[in-house]
Amino acid sequence: MTEHGATERRLSREDLLKLTAAAGGAALLGTRVGQAGAALSRLGAESGNLRVLDWAGYGYDGGQAMFASYVKKYPKNKPKFAVMANEADALAKLRQGVRWDIFRPYVGWVQYFAESGLVDPWDPKSIPNLKQLNPKMVKAGQYKGKQYGIPQDWGFDAVLYRTDKVKPKAKSWSLLFDERYKGKIAWFDEGSAMFAMAGVYLGAKNPWDQTDSELKKTQHFLISKKHLARMFWAYETDLWEAFGNGDVWVAYAWPNDWVQMKKKGLPVVYMHPKEKPISWIGMLMLLKGSPRPQLAHAYADTWSSAKSGKWLEDNYGYGHSNLKARPSSSDLLRALKLGNPNAVGPPNAYIDRNIPRRDLYAKLWQGVKNA
Amino acid sequence: MASTPGQRAGHRSRFDLTGPGLLGLPVAWLVVFFLVPIGIVAAYSIDALSIVPGSPVTLRTWRELFGGDPFLGHVYLSLFWKSVKMSLIVSAIIVALAYPLAYYLALSGTKRKYILLLLLIAPFLTSYLLRVLAWKVLLGDEGPINSALGWFGIGPYTLIYTQFAVLLVLGYVWLPFVALPIFVSLESLDRRLLEAASDLGASRWQAFCRVTLPLSAPGVAAAFLFVFIPTLGEFITPSLVGGTNGYMYGNQIVDLFGTGFPDWRTGSVLALFLLAVVGALTIVFSRLLQPRQVATD
Repeated sequence: MTEHGATERRLSREDLLKLTAAAGGAALLGTRVGQAGAALSRLGAESGNLRVLDWAGYGYDGGQAMFASYVKKYPKNKPKFAVMANEADALAKLRQGVRWDIFRPYVGWVQYFAESGLVDPWDPKSIPNLKQLNPKMVKAGQYKGKQYGIPQDWGFDAVLYRTDKVKPKAKSWSLLFDERYKGKIAWFDEGSAMFAMAGVYLGAKNPWDQTDSELKKTQHFLISKKHLARMFWAYETDLWEAFGNGDVWVAYAWPNDWVQMKKKGLPVVYMHPKEKPISWIGMLMLLKGSPRPQLAHAYADTWSSAKSGKWLEDNYGYGHSNLKARPSSSDLLRALKLGNPNAVGPPNAYIDRNIPRRDLYAKLWQGVKNA
Repeated sequence: MASTPGQRAGHRSRFDLTGPGLLGLPVAWLVVFFLVPIGIVAAYSIDALSIVPGSPVTLRTWRELFGGDPFLGHVYLSLFWKSVKMSLIVSAIIVALAYPLAYYLALSGTKRKYILLLLLIAPFLTSYLLRVLAWKVLLGDEGPINSALGWFGIGPYTLIYTQFAVLLVLGYVWLPFVALPIFVSLESLDRRLLEAASDLGASRWQAFCRVTLPLSAPGVAAAFLFVFIPTLGEFITPSLVGGTNGYMYGNQIVDLFGTGFPDWRTGSVLALFLLAVVGALTIVFSRLLQPRQVATD
């Protein structure tokens, strides 16, 4: 990470002396004493551990390499992690008033959180590595001209299947609804994702903002096909177990699931459906009133580096927004089309987006599960 | 040395004074960790507390639970009924299985009954989650059971991620809970009653039906209750082995609180409804747990 201002450096005695001298000098010169004092107090206040609310695998339980340089630079402000199961879980926790500095929703939630008043925009100037990030993804993290999300990990929602057991009639989402594989199919247990995907498959005008009649049609469709699904997976580990044990052969999946199944030696293909896959992008967001905003910026900058990105790609099988990050695996490079910065969006894929009636989508999904 | 009446009164008085002190801790515990949380959940159920700022207080979700949700109809009550049926099936089957087991241990006169009892409850020494996960492996399409059946040219059967798997694993997990109260009630049975029945010409079957079974009924009712109540709100086992058809009422509550989009109001309503049903059942069953007399005057 590059140097970018005294305020980002660890508070040391030297810094304090400099700032005190600056403040004193400013006072003597009759300039903005208040400003210097504010800088001093801000730095003084940025103490303690950076508090990060993140997904499993991005903290204590793995992925430390991605923020190792932050830890090296700020050993007294190491990140302290809490795990979020999903955005709904994070939202509930945040609404309860538990305070963190950073958390990571995915791109479809950027607008929701930006409007919720729970987050503050980032200062792009304090994240030098932002310039290396995919501009499409950076734009997807913006709301009303402000950078609320710093894009990091990304990938597709698509179809994973075993080539020794499954012969798709077409490269299509339809494989998830194929009668021939009844009882061998796994769907994703997330209402908005399933309704958006089914909406894409059924040709809804805007799958993320379906009309009442479209939603009704989508729900009926999913209910009519539910008997084909063996399980709804909510956690990747559940999918890996079922897929790895041969209990399911076809799954709504993420790139990492494909990587994991390949590691198990299974003959698998990660399909690129003709209706287009849905891409998602993890967005680091700065929580409102964070007492450690500068440290949060430093942490986001570390995550945004090419080095962190390469580690993520090599070890987790996800893409990274840093355009200079390149995985060692040519398979992953091809599957995610990492050589093409436009692969994340049209015409290659749909970028997941805000769902204005997310609560209704969730409710209708409950109707599918209970049917 | 005999105490005087005054000394006895003084002793009783000191004992009485310690009563509230002794009760204070458990009552405080109940208030803080049971009644207050229920109050909080009740507040969420009407949006008196809400994770969505500015929500007005409403009884809408309570009305929709019984009157039908505009988008889902009576889906929650249907799911509740499905869970009741599943819990009843599990409870009835494992009570039927546990009774002969407990009967043998308690009344066969074997000297090793406590060792056998220990073996019965041995699975409790391992984690609940591990036991459920072990079944996940056993019941897999390519797991040991299907592989063994394959040697005889049978199967493979779809065992995992089914309602059957939920019933099987719940039964396995709760069996010791069922066997223990039945064992205790049979152990405390006055054997002289059985001898009397025999002396009066009753066959072993008649003695069982007229003496043993009625006297062990409180233990059976307790056993039934011990398994029915927790399985009614069960969510871990269905989520691990249930698949798309093993979804239960407890899973619905968990989902409403933590997946998709948080709906704590509906989740709270469903949780309180479950609590009310369980409370009512406990009252009904507690009457059955009263000791019975075999013979009447």
